[in-house]
Amino acid sequence: MTEYVTSALFVHTEDTTHLIKPLQNNSLGTQITSVAFDTLTQAPQEHLEGVAHVVVAGPLDVIKEILRLAMKHQFSIGIIPTKKQKHLIKFYDLPKNPSAAVELALRQDGQTMDLILCNGKIMLFKAAIGRIPFLDTPAKASWIQILLNSLRKFVSFRLYTFKFGTAGKQEIDTAASGCMILQHFRGSFASRLISHDHSLTDGMASLVISAPISIIAYVKLLRQALRSSTRFKKLPSSIGYIKSPQIDIEPETRLEVFIDDQHATHTPLHCEAIAKAVHVNVGKNLRVESSSAKASKEKIDIKNLPREKELFKAKKQRRIPFFSYASDERFHDLFPALREDARLNNIYLVLMVLSTMLATVGLYLSSASVIIGAMLLAPLMAPIVSLSMGILRGNIELFKDSIGKIVLGILIALLSSALITLLFPHKPITDEMLARLNPTLLDLAVAIISGIAAAYSKSFKEIIQSLAGVAIAVALVPPLAVAGIGIGRWDFQFFYQAFLLFSTNLVGIIISATFTFRVLGYSAAVRSRRSLAVVFIFLVLISIPLYLTYSRIVEDRVFEKSWQQERFLVNEKYLIIVKASIIWRGDKRIILMDILAREPLTREDLTAFKRKIQANFSKKLIIRLNTFHIP
Amino acid sequence: MKNLVHLSILIIFVFWLGGCDQKPAIEPSGKTIKVGIIAPFSGSDHSKGKEGLKGMETAMQLQPYLQNGDHIELVAENDKDDPALTVKLLKKLVKEVKVSAIITFSSTSPVLAMAKVADEYRTPILAALATHPDTTKHNGFISQLCFDDDFQGTVAALFVRDDLLIDKVAVFSNPGSVYSSHLAAQFESKFKSIGGEVTDTVSLTEETGDLSKVIKSVHDNTPELFYLPISAKDLVRVVREVRKLDWKPKMMGSDGLISTMLAQHNNEIDLVDGMLATDFFAHGMPLTPFGKRARGKYLEKYTSTRTLYAALGIEGYAILLNAMNRCSDPADRECINKQIRSTTNFTGMIGNITIGPNGKAQRPLTINSIQGGRSKFIFKVY
Repeated sequence: MTEYVTSALFVHTEDTTHLIKPLQNNSLGTQITSVAFDTLTQAPQEHLEGVAHVVVAGPLDVIKEILRLAMKHQFSIGIIPTKKQKHLIKFYDLPKNPSAAVELALRQDGQTMDLILCNGKIMLFKAAIGRIPFLDTPAKASWIQILLNSLRKFVSFRLYTFKFGTAGKQEIDTAASGCMILQHFRGSFASRLISHDHSLTDGMASLVISAPISIIAYVKLLRQALRSSTRFKKLPSSIGYIKSPQIDIEPETRLEVFIDDQHATHTPLHCEAIAKAVHVNVGKNLRVESSSAKASKEKIDIKNLPREKELFKAKKQRRIPFFSYASDERFHDLFPALREDARLNNIYLVLMVLSTMLATVGLYLSSASVIIGAMLLAPLMAPIVSLSMGILRGNIELFKDSIGKIVLGILIALLSSALITLLFPHKPITDEMLARLNPTLLDLAVAIISGIAAAYSKSFKEIIQSLAGVAIAVALVPPLAVAGIGIGRWDFQFFYQAFLLFSTNLVGIIISATFTFRVLGYSAAVRSRRSLAVVFIFLVLISIPLYLTYSRIVEDRVFEKSWQQERFLVNEKYLIIVKASIIWRGDKRIILMDILAREPLTREDLTAFKRKIQANFSKKLIIRLNTFHIP
Repeated sequence: MKNLVHLSILIIFVFWLGGCDQKPAIEPSGKTIKVGIIAPFSGSDHSKGKEGLKGMETAMQLQPYLQNGDHIELVAENDKDDPALTVKLLKKLVKEVKVSAIITFSSTSPVLAMAKVADEYRTPILAALATHPDTTKHNGFISQLCFDDDFQGTVAALFVRDDLLIDKVAVFSNPGSVYSSHLAAQFESKFKSIGGEVTDTVSLTEETGDLSKVIKSVHDNTPELFYLPISAKDLVRVVREVRKLDWKPKMMGSDGLISTMLAQHNNEIDLVDGMLATDFFAHGMPLTPFGKRARGKYLEKYTSTRTLYAALGIEGYAILLNAMNRCSDPADRECINKQIRSTTNFTGMIGNITIGPNGKAQRPLTINSIQGGRSKFIFKVY
């Protein structure tokens, strides 16, 4: 059976005077005396003498002051929360309904609880230091405020060096963006990141330390916390956890400390848990949790925090990078391979000659399968990827070796295909060659995507076999072979168009692979900026003809499509355009048409047809017809 | 300071470049040249005159003066599409008002009446809508802005046969209309010459008795398409009877039919949904730069539906001005007539227009259909 206190002192503020009457008229047999908080603080001794139970309603600082007095005068406390004190309701598991809250506040069975004092100030929910975006946001803040506040913190997101001390005399040197003292997991987003073995009765304070290696890693952490409905079995990366009766926090510089969302003090901070400090009437669930809580020992889990070498790196780096660094293991796997790829050797030279020869013959045969075979055989992709890393890391040796290997490869390819062309008595221009003479911005897009794929595949051993697909997609050797054929034919336009396609692929891959390695964390920044600038200038220069070709192709496609809605009446003969396509021979624009006609077309008809086309389309078109007869 | 100088140079350069494109403004000479308009402004064909005039006024806003600064004054007369009245008004405009040229939006019959006396008045007449081939025959002063019915009928027959792959049709015509009967005959002759079968030839007049009986008899011969070079009013009559039989043959009309249906029979437009027609323009067709400017100007002033009559009005005015500008005396009727008849590749609303020495225009024809209460472009025929 529930027992209620026989008498209680009700401490109110101006906002909570309306509760005096309901309390005094309670049907639980409790006699209520009321006092205003201001009056009480003027002479606490006088008002609290002989008082065994205090009921309080008011702002958080008033409740905290009553808790402080309770420690001194040993009375139990009942709290009547206002509707707006959602955090308090959740924390103490209090009823939202005012009459239920009154009923709970007047009970006699208060729960013994710890209190945490930080630099002498009472902390109920949390104390935040430094920058822990989204986790340290005030409970009352709106979503927009949380977002803006967190974004502002991300702008100056950095690591501070911290020294943490515990009651067990442990001293931990590390770097962190910020940390947060928690008393209990209820009502705290940050507490989702740690195991829920801390309670209000274990005589411990919990410290969550955030040390993300990058903003991306931190966002991933937040996402994990948001999606997690159950507790984490182990601490997420970038998070450290200390549980101790006493925690000392001393960062390198003085940082402000926000206790329960209010600016309260600054570092150095000393927090201690006062075990069994007060008796508070809490909700049923919290009572069950507290009674089942076991006494615990000091706990330190800091394996995810920067130590020693990493701490030194963090001290140097200051700002938290946007992308994470690649792990040492990945570095060690990749670099020897890239260095090897950049070195010139006989295998490369032989493969380069063979792949170009194969591509050239395949182009003359107009055989897609032979050309694809040449793409797979071509070894050109490897030094290009090495060159990207050389640019990123500012590694001169890697850079020079790769450049030398690429240039030599290009020369060999041009020479091989030009020689084969000179040797061939018959030099037809095949469709496979034509397909490589009109590079557009879309080819640049293919090269960029392929460069990303190449760098990504190269970075992970598990997917290295995907490089074959990348080689086919970007097709480096066939355009070079076509350019060589252009040299063999002494056709500069031929050479220029094909070499433009090759250059597009080359520049696209270099740039995208460089940035992919950057994103994958192989360097904090692009070191060889001058090299990158040169590649960018090439990119811009190449983009101009690519753009012009692209817009010409778009214009041609629109023009071709519009012809499907054109009909001609020529000398009483009705001509239906079934299909029209535009091709270019140098600067000459040719329209190839498939037309349906009932009668055969005479020379006179064709002349009249041509005249009509030229009269109605301002562009000078060369017309080629393929006629199908309607029987 | 240095930046300021650079900025100033850049601004001056930009303005200089902008200035390069501007033509010098024409200074008005104070002289006025009169251009007559003969069109039906009342009666069942009133939209031809009213919309045509709107088009001319729109074009006039784009080009208010000739290149020598002479101003154009439009003098409009309502002939109610009555041939006798048309001839009277021609005389009035030439003798009394002393116009230098005339644009007419009248239909074939009134224009053919003018054709008989055109040489007597020696004044250039630009026929915007009269498609009958005889409009330009036996006279040296009437030129067509539109294609003629020989072209239109031939194209319609070939389109039906070769594009729609239809070989059985019924042809409807109004024997009281020279336009209708000639176009129907042209279609029929061409269609038969390419192996098509004309199952029925229906003469349609106001007095045509039991139309449902006629349609029933046509139905029995199972034509796949109706060729209907008839008025919008007659078309509605025919279609109503056809729908009564729960029959949906394809239908094809001639120039102006869709415009008239949209302008005057919009409440019955669902009846003819899917109907095809040969025409001058179509909604949503790609416009030439001139067409875009003219359309923009038209929309500034008028919110009503844009019709082909207005578009022809714009083109007619522009061609006339082009001819006048090529004359040393822009009011010289003989010169204007000669220049109209040597218009070559003039950029119209949707394409180029050429008017030959015989007064016949070569211009693209469009094949449109009514879909969802709007005209939709299908093909363009050159």
